[in-house]
Amino acid sequence: MTTPQISIRNLCVDYITADGDVRAVNNVSFDIGKGEVFGLAGESGCGKSTVAFSLMRLHKPPAYISGGEVLFDDGNGAKDIMKYSDGEMGIFRWSEMSMVFQSAMNALNPVIPIVDQFTDVIMRHTDKNKYEAVKRAEQLLQIVDIHPNRLSDYPHQFSGGMRQRLVIAIALALNPKLIIMDEPTTALDVVVQREILQKIYALKEEFGFSILFITHDLSLMVEFSDRIGIMYSGELIEVAAAKDILESPYHPYTHGLGSSFPSLTGPKAELKGIPGNPLNLLDLPQGCRFQARCERVTDICRRKATQLRDVQAGHLSNCHLAVGGQPIAIVETEAVAV
Amino acid sequence: MGFFLRRLSFYFIALLFAATLNFIIPRAMPGDPVTMMFANATTQVTPERIAAMKELLGFVDGPLYEQFFIYIKSVLSWELGTSVQFYPLSVNSVLGNAFGWSLFLAGSAVLLSFTLGSVLGIFAAWRRGSKFDTIFSPGMLAVQSVPQVVIAMILMFTFAIGLGWFPTGNAYTPGLTPDWTSWTFLKDVAYHAVLPLIAASIVQVGGFLINMRNNMINLLAEDYITMAKGKGLSENRVVFNYAARNAMLPSVTALSMALGMAIGGQMIVEIIFNYPGLGTVLLNAINARDYQVLQGQLLVMTLFMLFFNLLADMLYVVLDPRLRKGA
Repeated sequence: MTTPQISIRNLCVDYITADGDVRAVNNVSFDIGKGEVFGLAGESGCGKSTVAFSLMRLHKPPAYISGGEVLFDDGNGAKDIMKYSDGEMGIFRWSEMSMVFQSAMNALNPVIPIVDQFTDVIMRHTDKNKYEAVKRAEQLLQIVDIHPNRLSDYPHQFSGGMRQRLVIAIALALNPKLIIMDEPTTALDVVVQREILQKIYALKEEFGFSILFITHDLSLMVEFSDRIGIMYSGELIEVAAAKDILESPYHPYTHGLGSSFPSLTGPKAELKGIPGNPLNLLDLPQGCRFQARCERVTDICRRKATQLRDVQAGHLSNCHLAVGGQPIAIVETEAVAV
Repeated sequence: MGFFLRRLSFYFIALLFAATLNFIIPRAMPGDPVTMMFANATTQVTPERIAAMKELLGFVDGPLYEQFFIYIKSVLSWELGTSVQFYPLSVNSVLGNAFGWSLFLAGSAVLLSFTLGSVLGIFAAWRRGSKFDTIFSPGMLAVQSVPQVVIAMILMFTFAIGLGWFPTGNAYTPGLTPDWTSWTFLKDVAYHAVLPLIAASIVQVGGFLINMRNNMINLLAEDYITMAKGKGLSENRVVFNYAARNAMLPSVTALSMALGMAIGGQMIVEIIFNYPGLGTVLLNAINARDYQVLQGQLLVMTLFMLFFNLLADMLYVVLDPRLRKGA
């Protein structure tokens, strides 16, 4: 296997609060291969956006990265971007790794024309002069199917879908190797959503960048990603190929997520949610973080801390019960059959 | 352009309204200036003499509506009458002298404190919670709550009387002939303006600072600021082109209000430093019941307020593209 585009090792992010430091992201490790789409899913507040922001070191105080490595292959071998100086980070950002923000409505500066928001980043990172930068901006606009004569318009003159495409075009400006997409379509209706995702997919095929895709829309993610990681309470609890993760989950939480979505084609079935509430990170239990909401909780879950590990080729889970066990869905269908 | 004309006609109506109030208020008060003039006279004052005096000073008798139209006409043709106190000087020349000095002192005080306050506010917000922020933000607010008279007195006693670095009063050395082309005279004016300017500015900085700081802090949470940082742009570009540019918008209103008010004169500072501005004129006019001057000055203040409001409207359109229609 070639070196992954980015490999995150034991990333920890803490928030400083009045009641002490809270670990919002705990020992998260995963790789994204070159040209791969890696999906990161989980409920609100589970730390997925915190991971995304930390990779570009854009996390805002009171958050701080308390540990871990982020090894990024910039073509000359993997380097730990956590060790970059602020100056090096300034050069690294956007040219190697860019980001599409959650709400395109707010990701563009409302009082300066679009063209300046393209040229400032192009001129910051390349030797292009203003004229060449504008030419590049026109080219980028065409890539996302917006007429270049709209370049001098202001953000409020575009529709929501167009603005999201503008943000994507800005993200592509320097041909980065990895684009982080933090819920890029959440604010859009399903038709525009599909249009945008098809565009992103076509661009990925054309330019070959990797994507870290974040959303809480699991069915969308399964369609779009190559591999998926599920987060719960700041920990990565399961990583598997997109087609496997809901079909044969090893972690009860993933299983719960899978049964919270209606099937489009299958027979009607009553939807099951996951009982209980997300964990209070200030009051962590001993052992597994999911124990209070888990139907299958056993003694070991209450004593021993969990560790993400291989349970099957290419399938990782941190559930104690997954050792040598079967994926949950299969176990359950059998139970029903008996 | 249509927008501009609409605003302009709105402000014209506002001006007429203000002028009407300006007409009613003095007439609602008991007595009239001429009676007041003769109130302390020792000799017998005949009605003929009063009538003659009234005519001399340009008071009109007759029904109220007639008086009103004559008044409006005089407002629009900018004939504000004769000063009672400085007879035979016209109100125009009484105000005209003071006007320039006030505009210079109060106007530069507002601009200075706005610039200083905004820049400090930007840094306080960008380095929120730093030593700079924790000292300056509450510090300037504390200074703002000190009465201006105290600050002016302290400055005067320390730097003018105690240390003798600066003059104690006047806009320029008495006896000097004003000559705006002479370098010596300009230096003299600047030298005399230092203390009044500091006294007039320092109390205003806090307001602008807090205004800017709060706007900035709200904006720094916006996604486009994070995205600008993510683009690897230099800190200067993020602070000034992305954050401060947007945080300026509400401050423009505050600036135009402050400029509009400024022409009312920095009364306290002008009186303490014996500065020949409109504030001093206003106080004297009130003391002498010089209604013509009072009315004229109120009109000038109204005009300025309206002018700077109009300017703010225009500036807003330039600064915020979202307000431009059909662009």
